[in-house]
Amino acid sequence: MSGALQLLRKDLRLLVRGRGLLAILIGYPLVVAALVTIALQSGERRPAIAFVNLDTSNRTVRVGDRRLGIPDYEQRLAREVEVKRLDSTDAAAALEDGRVSAILTLPQNFIRDLQSGIRSPQIGLQVSRRSPIEAQSISRRLESAVFRLNQELAETYVTQTLDLVRVIVEGGDIAVFSRSGSVLGLQRSEVLVRQLQRVLVGQGQRLLANRMDPLLNFIVEAAINLDLANAAATAISRPITLAVPPSPAGREPLSAFGFAGALLVSLALVGVLLAAAALSAEREDNTLVRLRRGLIRPEALVGEKVTFAAIVSTVIGLVLLGVVGLGTSLAVDRWALWVPTLLAAGLAFGGFGVLVGAAARETRGALLAALMIALPLIFLGLFTESRVASGISQAVPFGPAFRAFQSLLVEPSVSSSDLWLRLGQLVVLAVVLTGASALVLRRSSET
Amino acid sequence: MSSSASAILLGAGLSKRFRSVAALDDVTISLQRGSAVALLGPNGAGKTTLLRILAGASAPSAGSVRWDATESRIGWVPQVPAVYRRLTVRENLRLFAALESAPDPDAFTDELLARADLVRFADTRAGELSTGTLQRLNLGVALAGRPSVLLLDEPTATLSPDQVRRLWTWLDELRRDDDLAVLFSTQSVDEAERYAARIVVLHAGRSVFDGTVPELIRIHGSPGTSDADAAETAFLRLVGASA
Repeated sequence: MSGALQLLRKDLRLLVRGRGLLAILIGYPLVVAALVTIALQSGERRPAIAFVNLDTSNRTVRVGDRRLGIPDYEQRLAREVEVKRLDSTDAAAALEDGRVSAILTLPQNFIRDLQSGIRSPQIGLQVSRRSPIEAQSISRRLESAVFRLNQELAETYVTQTLDLVRVIVEGGDIAVFSRSGSVLGLQRSEVLVRQLQRVLVGQGQRLLANRMDPLLNFIVEAAINLDLANAAATAISRPITLAVPPSPAGREPLSAFGFAGALLVSLALVGVLLAAAALSAEREDNTLVRLRRGLIRPEALVGEKVTFAAIVSTVIGLVLLGVVGLGTSLAVDRWALWVPTLLAAGLAFGGFGVLVGAAARETRGALLAALMIALPLIFLGLFTESRVASGISQAVPFGPAFRAFQSLLVEPSVSSSDLWLRLGQLVVLAVVLTGASALVLRRSSET
Repeated sequence: MSSSASAILLGAGLSKRFRSVAALDDVTISLQRGSAVALLGPNGAGKTTLLRILAGASAPSAGSVRWDATESRIGWVPQVPAVYRRLTVRENLRLFAALESAPDPDAFTDELLARADLVRFADTRAGELSTGTLQRLNLGVALAGRPSVLLLDEPTATLSPDQVRRLWTWLDELRRDDDLAVLFSTQSVDEAERYAARIVVLHAGRSVFDGTVPELIRIHGSPGTSDADAAETAFLRLVGASA
């Protein structure tokens, strides 16, 4: 067995033997993943809203064959936010204390104005200034809720109008807009007029019968044109519709993005810190001086540490994916692609770690330096909207690793050429960093 | 005094510079099979640098190290024990035996445990050993390469007098049994006089004496000094310190 394999066996043995370290290595990524999940869930959590109802009339408005009142409106709101019924004073105090994020006030005569069809009732919204981002989110949610209610009302009104048009064309009983009665209808009017014309012709009054032709034409034309009202009214009630195809199950972009981020932060820190510590520990144990006496070449030594970090971070990555796969709806089932991806990322993270470990004099210094250098670069890998940030993150392992994790978690179908390009980039980075580490190790051994 | 012709290890014209500081300046040293040589010098004389270069742990800025690779293997015992503190004694010896390409690492580990008198500590972690036992393990690891030359950097610096005596008894046995050449550094003239047949005195990176203790006293000693202090006085005069 070669020297590198002997040392790899030794490092794995020491890792398994150090139960505390092992627990941290497995527990830490799980905790990070859990924290990110909680953070994401809090982003999706329904904010609490104080609901102040100043309309005490208990009136209802008839919409179609239903009657809607304040409780119905409150019920609709509760689908979007957590509703707390309060009076104005308590609501103001709750907003001040941060117990609610906004106050929604229904004015006096809300239902009456809605019923009138003349005045549009105005709902008041006061949002907390404590959290501008949440306030913006609440405003958008409530705007969307009011929009949906308006649309529902508009559709109901259009349906009622179309019912009226149908009755005017076909005839029958009518009960819309608070009116009721029986209507003859254009079709029956046409039949009656034609019957009358035939009677008049039979009585020898053809001239009189012909004078009724314009009336007949009007009835026919009106019936034909009113038939077009159906399509026109539908178009008016929904001028633009938005078609959103549902995401494939388990590939919700927000959750997948969050988990890709959690995976990057966890595995990058594990890989970088483990490799840095493993190499600097050789120096701290003073064994480096013995190994460097021809027992192992610097390239093989740093390669062994990189491989060690890659194996451990791959195993931890697979454990993390397994836990997430079992515990959430996120789709993590591309195992055949996950293994090479985690391995390539682990090699690159390990390369980054050994470079720091080769330059450091002792383990604590190596860990601190690795953390301080890696952390900002990891976050650059997460937020790559800026061209400069994106450029930097692509030159270190964290950017390509995040893209690879994202494509496996988010994309409905993975472009294999894109993925292999990322993995190739990671392997090249691992080779370059390992080579640089060997150079640093060679030079530092001379001093 | 040194004979480079029959040398098992020869360092010729060795120099080492750390930026502008000359840690070693044109030092030549040779070792014969079965010999015991003390490298004597005060702090900063260049003893560790010379041993590191001879051991192959550091490259010289100038000069060369020659030995017959087919016959000579070098065992290196650094001052700070170079062993894995979280591995047991057996695991350390087994790992270095394997790294030194021992044909049967497990059998050789048992042999090393016996030779270093570490059998009862075989399953103890190195980090839990006493200073003396840890130094024995440090030496045991150096023996894993079946060396013909043993280089020891101040091997007794942290040991009690009893541990020093026991270590040297063992080293003498090794030297006799295996015809091992031993080169050790020390700051103690007494230790050099007691355990080495020849001493090399280093001062400010230069070799200022290479010979036996009587020669040191004859050349650099003071007339009238008692026998007990003669070597010490000669050494101090040589390195320019007051007695």
